Amino acid sequence: MKKSKFLSVVGIASLAAALLVGGCSQSSTQQGDKVELYMGYTSDPPTKKKMEEIIAKFEQSHPHIKIKTVTAPYEDFYQKLTTQIAAGNAPDIWQSDGTKVFGFAQRGAIRDITDYVTKEVNKDEVLGVEFNKDASGKYWGVPQGIQVGALFYNKDLFDKAGVAYPTADWTWDDLKAAAAKLTLDASGKNADDPAFDKNAVKQYGFTFFGSSRGAFNIMKAYGGGVLDPTMTQSIIDSPENKKAVEWMADGMKRKLFPNPAELKAFQSNFKVFLSGATAMQIDIYAATTSMNGAGLNYDVAPMPKGPDGKRFAPVIANSWVINKKAEEQKVKAAQEWITYWTTSDEAQKEWAEVGEAIPVKKSVANSEMFLNPSIKPDNKKVFLDSLDFAGTIDTNAVFAEWLKVVTDNLAELFMDKMSVDDYISKTDQGVQKVLDDFFKKQ
Amino acid sequence: MQKRFPLNKLFGYLFVLASTLIMVVPFLTTVFNSLKTYKQYMQFPPEWLPDPVKWSNYSQVWEQANFSSYTVNSVIVAVLSVVGTLLSSSMIAFAFARLKFPFRDTLFMIVLGTMMIPGIVTIIPQFIIFKNLGMLDSLTPLWILEWLGQPFAIFLMRQAFLSIPKDYEEAAKLDGCNPFQIYWRVFLPMCKPALATLAVFTFMGKWNEILAPVIYLLSEEHFTLPIGILSLRGQYKTDDQLLVAGALISLIPILIVFLFAEKYFVEGSKTSGLK
Repeated sequence: MKKSKFLSVVGIASLAAALLVGGCSQSSTQQGDKVELYMGYTSDPPTKKKMEEIIAKFEQSHPHIKIKTVTAPYEDFYQKLTTQIAAGNAPDIWQSDGTKVFGFAQRGAIRDITDYVTKEVNKDEVLGVEFNKDASGKYWGVPQGIQVGALFYNKDLFDKAGVAYPTADWTWDDLKAAAAKLTLDASGKNADDPAFDKNAVKQYGFTFFGSSRGAFNIMKAYGGGVLDPTMTQSIIDSPENKKAVEWMADGMKRKLFPNPAELKAFQSNFKVFLSGATAMQIDIYAATTSMNGAGLNYDVAPMPKGPDGKRFAPVIANSWVINKKAEEQKVKAAQEWITYWTTSDEAQKEWAEVGEAIPVKKSVANSEMFLNPSIKPDNKKVFLDSLDFAGTIDTNAVFAEWLKVVTDNLAELFMDKMSVDDYISKTDQGVQKVLDDFFKKQ
Repeated sequence: MQKRFPLNKLFGYLFVLASTLIMVVPFLTTVFNSLKTYKQYMQFPPEWLPDPVKWSNYSQVWEQANFSSYTVNSVIVAVLSVVGTLLSSSMIAFAFARLKFPFRDTLFMIVLGTMMIPGIVTIIPQFIIFKNLGMLDSLTPLWILEWLGQPFAIFLMRQAFLSIPKDYEEAAKLDGCNPFQIYWRVFLPMCKPALATLAVFTFMGKWNEILAPVIYLLSEEHFTLPIGILSLRGQYKTDDQLLVAGALISLIPILIVFLFAEKYFVEGSKTSGLK
């Protein structure tokens, strides 16, 4: 009896001690006049090394700020961040994927920085500031790196087929006509040949999948889209979208584009273009790193035009966002970091060296350093020019959810399990339900 | 007269050969993939043999993924988890299997019931508890729960204890053993195969665990091996051949543990049964 009492006393005492230690460990992060800024970013070994170098330089020129970092690869970072936000110890500032900014904003995790952006960020100098502005005119982030989509094409495959490279005048129909000449079966016949064997395609004309690399861009060029400007209503049920979807379904039927099952055979969707099994693909700037790594002979052209001459390029502005719960001093320090990031030539050039994103400082993006002709693709200027007709991919708080409805239904359509009309009506209802489930409960 | 090779034996060999190939070919493909260049890895249709053979992938991944220090952390977590699971779960299982106390079976059902709760559901509450205990960014959250009993382990050990005839327990009692001594000196040694199985399961689970380390660890000095390997993944470009090489290196400790535990599987089957 005595023994058990003793044990329970020891137990309670150690629990109390542990809790006390826990409480103490949340020590003040401010030493002297130095502000400790807690920053999160996604990384792999090369980007991590580069970011550490830039942070060191920032700390040198801003001796009153000390940066503590948390970093992980893309998916793990957001898994960790979600838990941290729920537990109330998320970083003061983090690098958010462009598709997630409004999600964080509408869930109350990040700070409205309209004031800072309008006063301190020069929109003539910094690319893509407007992409973080919501329908009500509030700014939620400042670009950290820009991704713009373009049409990537494999020059070797074009040369072999004797097809002229894509030009800025191309329409989506021009693309399809070229794709037919570039789609080859096992015996080398192209899709225009009456003897073409659809069941033995060994090279496709054009590949698209996912969001920024996918159907969304074609729907936009045709004058359609997924959401209205308020980002709360589905606009899928429109004649423009129907035309765009018919265009895609026809290409799939003719086997000019690989369908979802055929894409799976490649293990990764990206491998189709990287292995030279498709002549064209929509992709974003960041894809150049893997294409260069694979030694492809490729270049880029602007996204083709729709039937009415409308053109659309997807943009993802990965951005710095500030924690809504950050203390004022930290918010200030975070803003100093953002200002440094967007205005410092040094930081921008260093980051551009990783090759993952278009620098956000316009002067650096337009410099020889970025447009460097010795690194592929030759026509890098296409990315910058595409910003003129670029738009976000309708990212909102339930982006991942509505995208799933759209892509799941597209897969059914492309696998011939659904008609175009069914696709339009089912997707419209599905997307609207996702939107209502979130926005009507707000 | 020449002895004929029995036909059923031939089929037996063919069957064994086919199953061996099914096991070995994917493993060899992995080994070959780990020796390819990025360019060759991306080729489709894939080539089986690496050309050129890039042994440097292994040294590169060893350095980039910081294997040497992450391995130490992984070993600490895995070993503490194995010891914790074996001790705590077997002790609890012994109580459920052999001791008599009120609501014993109900409690056991509750323990089993917790297995139905998906781990992901309890992540945020657990994170908050560890945060309040000041254990974030340390290895403690990764192994401490194993010292409080694991439902599956308790179930497995209880089944093992139940299979031991009561005569052993009674004999031990006659010799003056208390319940702890019966557990420690009689039951545990007789359940080595079950303990070895549990040790291998726990070790493998902890060695490959990714979610908890990702969530609880912030500083690099505490990172475990899976994080090291996965940190090679980029958002836009991943050197898959390096990932594969890293995964192969991290396989070695599991093989060692398995070979070590195998001895006990055999030993266990020899000593079972009443004499």
